[in-house]
Amino acid sequence: MKKLIQIHNLSFSFGKQQVLAELTADFYGEELTVILGRNGSGKSTLFNILSGMERYYKGEVLFADQSRKDIHAGQKNTLRIGFMTQFHQTTFPFTVFDVVLTGRAAFSRFAPRQVDFDLVEENLRAFQLWHLKDKPYTALSGGERQLVLLCRILVQQPDVLLLDEPTNHLDLHYQVAVMEHLKRLVQSGTTIVCVMHDPNLALLYGDRFYVMQNKKLHALQEKDPVVLLSTLEKTYHVALTDVQHNGRTLIIPKQKHL
Amino acid sequence: MRQRVKVLLLILVPFVVLFFSLSLGSTGYVGISDLAHYTWVAVQGLFGNELARATTDIETILWQVRLPRILLTFMVGAALAVSGGVLQAIFRNPIVDPFSLGISSGAAFGAALSMLIPLIPINLSAFLFGVVAVTITYFVSYAGARTSMIIMVLAGMIITGVFTAFLTVLQYLSDPYKLQAIVQWTMGNLHTASWDKVQTVFIPIIGGLLAIAAFRWKLNLLALGDQEAMAVGVNPRNIKFIIVGLATMITASAVASVGMISLFGLIVPHISRIFFGPNNQIGVFANMSIGGTFLLLIDDFSRAVMPFEIPVGVFTMILGAPLFIYLMRKNAVNWNA
Repeated sequence: MKKLIQIHNLSFSFGKQQVLAELTADFYGEELTVILGRNGSGKSTLFNILSGMERYYKGEVLFADQSRKDIHAGQKNTLRIGFMTQFHQTTFPFTVFDVVLTGRAAFSRFAPRQVDFDLVEENLRAFQLWHLKDKPYTALSGGERQLVLLCRILVQQPDVLLLDEPTNHLDLHYQVAVMEHLKRLVQSGTTIVCVMHDPNLALLYGDRFYVMQNKKLHALQEKDPVVLLSTLEKTYHVALTDVQHNGRTLIIPKQKHL
Repeated sequence: MRQRVKVLLLILVPFVVLFFSLSLGSTGYVGISDLAHYTWVAVQGLFGNELARATTDIETILWQVRLPRILLTFMVGAALAVSGGVLQAIFRNPIVDPFSLGISSGAAFGAALSMLIPLIPINLSAFLFGVVAVTITYFVSYAGARTSMIIMVLAGMIITGVFTAFLTVLQYLSDPYKLQAIVQWTMGNLHTASWDKVQTVFIPIIGGLLAIAAFRWKLNLLALGDQEAMAVGVNPRNIKFIIVGLATMITASAVASVGMISLFGLIVPHISRIFFGPNNQIGVFANMSIGGTFLLLIDDFSRAVMPFEIPVGVFTMILGAPLFIYLMRKNAVNWNA
């Protein structure tokens, strides 16, 4: 596999508070890379830099050997990067269909075309959301909204997909549905980098893992249960036990009071 | 109502009201059959039939007084409503209107200045100062990609305050006759309509409306927020700049020709959202049709019902406020606060 995203000596501060310090990491193409870490460890900052929303950083961020700062949204013949942030509130109650349709905005100057409508339908059906198409987006549950936003990102058929906690707000059914879908996307050639909170869901579906700690990303050796356990224990400050499942190591916290 | 019927009404009702408005006026009511006859004569005249030139008094009133006024009113109503709808979508804020950015107070100051010191025409001066006020608002609040919509609206309020203060100074300095003209202008006047005014505003308003209509789908994207636009590969900055520029152009042209018509650009977009939902693809056309028709009806009311003419700005306030409060209390106003 090819290194698609290369981060070299990336530093970032909010005022005097340093959030990322000389972070170096590579993400590979056509893989599902997962970034784990505690709240406030800088995952979202890294996410903002990768997605292009934050531009005032030191160091190098390359997407397919091109600096992130040189990849402009809406430009043709470059990598198509889609991202999904955590929180989203709309003011106006657009229908689900209209919200997803805006995902195709980069592809036509003015009005949407038939291919745009078709892609919206295809994606909504893939997530079994077609029956909601005429409902106001604002009337959906948090989980449904999350899925609609994911559909919206997917209709642009991105080469790289950056997701900030895509399974947040979702019940178990949808968590599995989303992860399975991401897995299929990876198999069909999409590169996905995903910030996640649930280590087990990550370990079940991810291809490569990083842990954000001390303002840096550390590769997680998931193959060795002992190393995996100790790294995650240090990251989350919780005592853990491992569970073996289909050749993968999952973790559960050690309970103090039984 | 089914969507198709609603769209049909959107197209038909303005024409009916336009025709109806022609028959009303202070010189008296013109019957439908007479009106049809005069219209037929006029159309023949347009196509070069020399015998069919307007000759009677009533024809002069119809084509030189009422028709330009009706056309101007419709264009101004459509411009203010579309501008309001566009700004509400872009600023993701249902309480924004064309005047929140300082356009109106800048234009009012410009008009007053030119009435006091007649160096350039009133309309031009109003337009220029409207643009100046908006430009200051943008520069004060501009911070690259991080430009905050809330700060922009606050800046607009401050600029409005500053230009209103300047206007007060001008009013204080001017003699009673000029003061009267200034006050009348700020209240909004449609009775000064003429073919000249229609000609002046036709290109900026119709051109601006058509350009905005071309971008109508992108308004949905912008209404979701900058981040959501970038998330699907669209840089929202340029397109926002273009659309806000167009909205400024049509508002300033409207204000420059007929004065200030307050609340109108705020209320109409809400009304069209009630009937047509928040989708801007139809909303832009709904605002044109409802805005133009509504202002025409308000003007008809002030022309036909009252024994004397009251400035239309006063009427939009008096009629618009209770209607809007009613809709708001009924919770029919289509937004999610």
